[in-house]
Parts: sequence; C-alpha cells; structure tokens
Amino acid sequence: MSLTDPFTLSILSIVLLCILGLPIGHAMIASSILYLMLAGLDMGTAAEQLLNGMFSSYILLAVPLFIVAAELMNAGSMTLRLLAFCNAFVGRFPGGLALVNVVQSIVFAGMSGSAIADAAGAGKLMQKMMTEGGKYPPAFAAALTASTAVIGPIIPPSIPMVIYALVSDASIGFLFLAGVVPGLLMGLVQAVIVVFSARRRNFPVEKPVPLRELPRVTLDAFPALMMPVVLLGGIYGGATTPTEAAAIAALYALLISAFLYRSITLSSAYASLLSSARTTTSIGMLIAGALVFNYVVTVENIPSTLSAWLTGFDLSPLAFLLLVNAVLLILGCLLEGTTILLIIVPVLIPTANALGIDMVHFGVVCVVNIMLGLITPPYGLLLFVMTNISGCSLRRIVREVLPFLMALLVALLLITVLPGLSLWLPRQFGYSG
Amino acid sequence: QDKTKLRFSAVFSEQDIRADMMKQLAGVVGDQFEMEIYYGGTLFKQTTEIIAIQRGNLEMGNVAPQDIATQIPAFSILTSAYLFRDAAHMRAFFASEAGAEMKAMAEDQLGIHILGPTYFGTRQVGLNIDKQITTPADMSGVKLRMPGGDAWQFLGQSLGANPTPMAYAEVYTGLQTGAIDGQDNPLPNVENMKFYEVMKQIVLTSHLVGYDLLVISKKVWDALSEDQRTAFQAAADAAIDWSQAEHLKREQELAAFFEEKGLKLSTPDTDAFRVFAQQQYLDSDIAKDWPEGMLDRINAM
Amino acid sequence: MDKLIKIGGWLHRRAENVAVAMLVVMFAAFIVQIASRYLFNLPVGGASELTITMWLWVVLWGAAFVLRETDEIRFDVVYGSVGPRARRVMTLLASAGLLILYGYSLPAVWDYVTFMKVQKSSYLDIRYDWLYSIYIIFAVAVLIRYLWIFICAVRGRGLSELQRGDGQT
Ligand code: NA
Ligand code: NA
Repeated sequence: MSLTDPFTLSILSIVLLCILGLPIGHAMIASSILYLMLAGLDMGTAAEQLLNGMFSSYILLAVPLFIVAAELMNAGSMTLRLLAFCNAFVGRFPGGLALVNVVQSIVFAGMSGSAIADAAGAGKLMQKMMTEGGKYPPAFAAALTASTAVIGPIIPPSIPMVIYALVSDASIGFLFLAGVVPGLLMGLVQAVIVVFSARRRNFPVEKPVPLRELPRVTLDAFPALMMPVVLLGGIYGGATTPTEAAAIAALYALLISAFLYRSITLSSAYASLLSSARTTTSIGMLIAGALVFNYVVTVENIPSTLSAWLTGFDLSPLAFLLLVNAVLLILGCLLEGTTILLIIVPVLIPTANALGIDMVHFGVVCVVNIMLGLITPPYGLLLFVMTNISGCSLRRIVREVLPFLMALLVALLLITVLPGLSLWLPRQFGYSG
Repeated sequence: QDKTKLRFSAVFSEQDIRADMMKQLAGVVGDQFEMEIYYGGTLFKQTTEIIAIQRGNLEMGNVAPQDIATQIPAFSILTSAYLFRDAAHMRAFFASEAGAEMKAMAEDQLGIHILGPTYFGTRQVGLNIDKQITTPADMSGVKLRMPGGDAWQFLGQSLGANPTPMAYAEVYTGLQTGAIDGQDNPLPNVENMKFYEVMKQIVLTSHLVGYDLLVISKKVWDALSEDQRTAFQAAADAAIDWSQAEHLKREQELAAFFEEKGLKLSTPDTDAFRVFAQQQYLDSDIAKDWPEGMLDRINAM
Repeated sequence: MDKLIKIGGWLHRRAENVAVAMLVVMFAAFIVQIASRYLFNLPVGGASELTITMWLWVVLWGAAFVLRETDEIRFDVVYGSVGPRARRVMTLLASAGLLILYGYSLPAVWDYVTFMKVQKSSYLDIRYDWLYSIYIIFAVAVLIRYLWIFICAVRGRGLSELQRGDGQT
C-alpha cells in the first residue's frame, strides 16, 4: 500500500473532507467516487450501491419508523408522562433527574430498537428538563443522554441484533433475550457514575413526589408504559416481526396521543413529522455513505485481509474476544455501526466459531461494542446527535462522556468474560448453547 | 501474459457448499484466470448481479433464474412450481436442445453466457402448526411466507396457500411468534437459519427444484479461444456436479437430523399438488410469456 | 434579492411538505400492509414496495431540499474551533472537493440510472429508471447547493447561515 494508491487516497480524502466540515455522508460518497475514478472503475457504481442498498434493506425501515414513534410520543405528551413516572420513583435521590435519564433509557429500550431514536426522542426532552433553570451543565446532560441511549438496542427490540442475526445465522429470539441482563448492567454502572458525580458536583435533588401521588402518576403513564408490553408482546406473543413492531409503536403513540391524551393537534403532528423527516434524512445519508464506501472496502478485500491477520495470532477464545473488543472499539471511533456489523463482524464470525465461542454471546459482545462506538470520539453518531440537540460543542460533550464511557467499558469487560450474563436468560427459555 | 481477471459475486456465504464449488473452479482454471470471489452479496446485492455484468462491472455471477425473468419474461417458466421433478430432471433439461434454446435467449438478450445450473436443494414447506397436509386443499388458509415479488407470491398461491412476503431475516421470529404459519425453503437453509427450532413439521412437497445459474459475461466468453472455452466449461461442469452431489447428500442427512429433533416429516400427494400448480400457472397471465410447447417438452423429458 | 429569498423560502416549505407527505405515505403503507396481513390474512406486496420506495426517496429528497446546514451530521471539532477566515477557506476547499467529484461522476450516474429502464419493480411495475431518478435529482440539487456555498465563500458574504460553531457562544 503506497500513498498514491486509490484506496489510501480515498481514506485520506474522507478524513480531509470531514475535517473541512463537509457532512459525513457526502464525504464518504465523494471519496468513494474518487476511488472509483482513480481505480478506473465505473463511477456510476456509487449511485448503484446507494440505490440498491437502500432499496433492498427492508430491515432498515425500522429506523425511520422508530424515529416517527419517538417524535409522536413527544408531541403527544406520552414521553412527559413517562418521565414524570420515572421522576416519581428516582427523582428523590441525589442527582435525581440524571438518574431519571438512566431509568428512562432502560424503560424506552423496551420500546425502541435504535439508540439514535432514544437520543433524538426522549433524550431531547431529558436534555431540556435537565438544563432548565440551569440545574445541570448542558454538556453533562448531553453526555449522559448520549451514553444512556446506548442501552436502547441492547435491551430488546433491537435493530443491530437483527442485523447481526442476518450475518451470523444466530437466532433473533435468543439474541433478544440475551441482551436483557447486559442492558440492565449497563444501566446500573451508569447510575453508579451519576451518584458519584451528584455528590461531587452537588447536583440537585428533585422535590420528592408524595407516596399518595404514586398511583396517580403511574395511572397517568400507564398507557405509555404499556408500549413495551404491546411491542414485545407483539413480537413474542405472535403478531409482529421486529420491523413491524416499529410501525406498531408509531401507530400506538399516535392513537394514544390523539384519542386518549387528546394532546396532539394537526399542526403539532405536522411539526413532529417534519422533524422526523429531517432526522431520517440526516441518518439516512450516513447509511447511504456507508453503503457506497462498503463497495470500496469490499473491492479492496479489507475483510479477508483482516481475517487472515486475526487467525495469524493463534489465540485462546478469551484472548480473541478481548482482541475483538479492541478492534471493534477502535473501528467504532472511525466507522458507523451498521457498516461495522455488515462488513467487519462477518469477518470475525468464522474465527469465533472455530474457537467454540457461542454465537449468541458473541453477538451481544459485538453489539455492545458497536453501541459504545456511538459515543466514542471522533466519529460517534450519538455525540453528533447530542451536539445538534444541545447546542454544546463536541469537545465539551466528549469531556463529560468519558467517565460514562469508562463505566461502560467495565460493563463490556464483564459481559465479555462472563458469558453467563448473556446466556442465562435465553437458557431459561430453552436455549441449548 | 497477464491472467484474465474474473470478478465473481454471489449471495451465498463462504461457509456454503457452493463456495467450495467456486474455489474448485478457481483452482482448476487458475493458470489462465485470476478469480476474485466475493461472497454474501457484499460486492453486489442479490438480484443486481445481472445488471452489473451487463454494465461491465462484474464478469461472473451465480444468478437466480427469477432475476433473468425480470428482463426476459419467457424465463418465468423455469421458475414455476412443479416444473422439474428433481435435480437430475433439471440437469437433463439444461443439457437438452430445449435448454440450449433458453440459454441462447439469455445470451442474445442480456449478454450473459450460462455455464450451468447450480443446484442448492429442493424447496419444502415447513410449518409451525400441526395440521396434516396431503393435498393443496389442506394448504388453504395457511399463511406461508414466500420471498418478496409477484412471481414468488404466485408460487405460494399455486400451492394452495396464502402467500405472505417477509424479509428472510425476519422469518425466524415470524415462525416463533406465529406471524406466519410456515415458510418454504430447501432443507439446508432451514438448518442454516435455525428455522427448525421454531417449526413443528416439514411437508416434503418438493414444489421447486432450487437452482441458480452460473453465468459469465458474454463479452469475456467470446474473447476466449475455443480451447479456453472448452477447458473452462469442463471445469465448471465438474465443480457443478460435485456441488450438486454434496447438496443431495446433505439433504438426506438433514431429513434424518430434523426427525431426530422431533419434527414430523411427511410426504403429501405430490401428483395432486403438481396438477393443481401447473393448472394455476396455465390459467394465469404468467404462462402467456412462456415459449410455445416448452412445458410439454419439459414434462416429457 | 429580497424577492429571490422569499421565493426560496416558499419553495423550501413546499419541499418540506413533500418530505412529510412521503413519510406519511411510508408509514401508512406499512400499517396497511400489517393490517391486511393480520386482520384479513391478505398480504399487499405493493404496500411493502411503496414503503421502501418512500424510504429511499425521503432520504435523498430530504438531503437535496429539506436539510438545513445546521441539520447535517458533520465532524465539527476543527471547524468549530477556528476563526472566520479559516472557516471560509475550509468551506471553499470542502465545497470545491464535492463539486469536482459529484460533477465529474454525474455523466456516469446518469448512464447508470437510465440503464435501469430494462427492469421493472416486482409489484407496482414501475420502471427502475423512474424509481432511481431521485438520485439524479439529488446529485444535481446538491451540486447547485454547493455551488452556491462555494460562491458565498469566495465572496465572503451570505455565510452567516453556514455558521455552525459552538452553540453556547
Ligand atoms: Na436517557
Ligand atoms: Na465512534
């Protein structure tokens, strides 16, 4: 590989165009075109890969649908009621609202399959609540919102796990179950960081909600709380597939808001749909860029090169898993999650299989890694989303996200070395691995 | 002299038997051709390979006859239910005069040369319900997942079922939850995707002999010398034969394996299914595009 | 000039209307598909094709006409921490890079999209060159947009809406 070969130049071009401030999706498409041009290939392939990729990725439809669901929940006060519910239980502790943010993500994880949707939906409201009246530093709130959002796709339903199932042939049902305990663990370690920060930085306590108020708050949030039941009940009880669950979620939010809470108007519905369209477009362009760049990576045989390099080490299963963590975390700093799942993880699977690593456990490890990639700088999608929502600079958010990232790395380590954390629940449901 | 570079793209994974088939072929022709093999649809997505070959972005592919039918409607006959009885019947057709006519059609209209059909298993109905299936009438009301697209949906209808499109990756959960009552795939796919974990029975309908077509760009093919073509074709035939034998063996093993896992395997009245299905096709618009007399010629083989 | 901005604003709102309409169609088609499958045991393949078409179109349409500079996902660590002069140079270079590469590849893109006329979609029988024509619209719109950004950067004017540094200041 020399400095003048097309692949090196296209990588340099991505880095350069991103630094210059071109939107990332455009930077990836433009640099892929540069590669095609220099390699003497058909430049129409850029359009071909983007169009066919978007047109055949039926599973990705869950992304815009979950975004619409989250927007409708916000517009229709469902999210507010849920947050009031979380607040009634954990607001009374030091760093109350920050804890609410953690609990919120666990509750919402049961409804949403996408971390971005959690941050862009409920996360947006959490950001507003935490910074109102100067309660919390905006960058801290943004960092916490980003880092709690990663729980979303660990607890089912989960878009990344569906994609992993696609490339690994592992069972989606068992994968979903395997994410429950690790997801709760990730919530727990973040709560610990919140409690420490609250003591050190003197974060406010919310006015305790009197005990006699609890039934009313619960009842108020009940239809919203039923959403995970509707969703997971739908998936496990025999009505919908994971992608369809996303549409059901949006419909449920719309019906509850319009007819039960009567808190949505035509103009607020339009506003939330427009906002959904914007978010869908921004994220869709990242996926589009990754689809085009995939072609370059594939033509250059990067996956098989990496695979050969990995097998060269002759590792034990645990050492391999730790190496996978390192590789995925580093790649997560640079690449988008779906890209990693579709290009890199398939390369690792044969080796993992040969070492006797359980495919469901491996899936959880990979997905947790990829979710952490969403909050690792410089390329962290959730960090970008929160920059957008909070108006804070990426720099400030990154500084605040570090303690949470460390805590999540500890959780990742536990999930890696203790397969039982992932496999215990699926085994209760008859998983034999 | 530089070796001719042949980029090959397929949907199957590197663990698939057909990946070994391609490696065999690449090895035999390796002195003159440099084959770059891309698995898992990573280079070009499923169904897009033919266009890639037509546009000169790909030299070889393993394409579904259904994809050829999207450009040449006459090819839809080769994708219809109960056309071939088994793999041998299908191979006999492609080796025959009638087969040559169909192959010439693809060569003339699409610029792809068909090296041969690659068998990957016969499609069988797998259900997550207990219902006993003997005739097409028993399939009535059964929500059978079929791949997306009108042609596939019609195939499900020709079995007497209620066809339902669903993404392949969602079929497992669909079966588990009862969103669908069943799926139709060759047994190796049922094992790969772990569908058997969430199925109760397999009805050996053998409704479609599953095969793709190993194709090479006509431009590349025509540029070869007579000797090169003969040698390449012989190598392709040998690899295809080996792969077919492996698949047939695997299907037998898997039937036993699924029974061991507690699934009920049964053989329905396939003659009743055949008559019903062929009639459905003949009554539909699809058969209007079929070459005159082709169905009878194939049935007679 | 004011009139031009007014017309631009009006067009932008209409583009937003279209994007919202696409999203609504996508959502509605999905619901119809689920409902007809589960309630009436009658799958509508056309609905699923419409859904995925709208997903493709809403992303490219949105990227072409709806996204504002502030909505774009970008890596702004460097951009956000330099002065206005450096920003101007960076904007100039980035938009020049995009203009050259998107512009140079436009004929090849046109060639691909028009080639797709040989195929029709499997349910709705829409020719693929029509389905995929959104990419041409996208590419041309992005080129025009970045030409505008490039010209603004050269003249050093009209860049105010491109400011996207530290939101706290
Ligand atoms: Na949160
Ligand atoms: Na990252």
